[in-house]
Amino acid sequence: MIEYVPGKQAWYEENQPREGQAVDEIWIGDVADSEVPTCDPADRIGDVRARTAGWDTCVVVNSERVVMGLLRKKELDGDSTATAGQVMRLGPSTFRPSMTLQDLLRSMRDHDIQTNSLVTTLDGRLLGVISRADAEATMAHESSAEVAS
Amino acid sequence: MPSLVFWASEVKGLLEQGAQLVDVLSEDDFEHDHLPGAINIPLKRLDAKTTAALDRDRTVLVYCNDFG
Repeated sequence: MIEYVPGKQAWYEENQPREGQAVDEIWIGDVADSEVPTCDPADRIGDVRARTAGWDTCVVVNSERVVMGLLRKKELDGDSTATAGQVMRLGPSTFRPSMTLQDLLRSMRDHDIQTNSLVTTLDGRLLGVISRADAEATMAHESSAEVAS
Repeated sequence: MPSLVFWASEVKGLLEQGAQLVDVLSEDDFEHDHLPGAINIPLKRLDAKTTAALDRDRTVLVYCNDFG
């Protein structure tokens, strides 16, 4: 007999699939936008800005996609010659993929968060981001679908 | 063969080799969510009778909720 020591929570926190009633829930790992721009700490802000058009967020990651920091609009609009590592916001809040979208949205509302929330695995690898607007829209769509059925 | 595994990739590898996956949490927990392909034998009911259906020639991989 072999034991999977970290257990099912760790499985889910690596964004692995599930069975059971919970497949009908929306977990944030299911809906996180993985297309969010990323950059290396050594990248120049001017270069990062050029490839993040339409986004107000760029996640600074290492070669294994582990989150190192975050660039928001203020940093992206700042000194073009600075590196991402020099100006990034350290220690951004992250959320695990097994959190329900309903719980994340409640937290966003409680803390008046309008910006993108980062979704990472247990070991800090970036899975994607969820904006407040997308979270609101997805939950509204889900609620209307439940009413219709 | 190790008696402990720590990563989802190891679990997947064992399942590909034919391991049987056993969830030892409660029936309610299991019904809410579990790993794909797992069967449920709650820890409190784990005995010779409840494990009789397991294939003795295949690896049995068990899991609980978390490290705790």
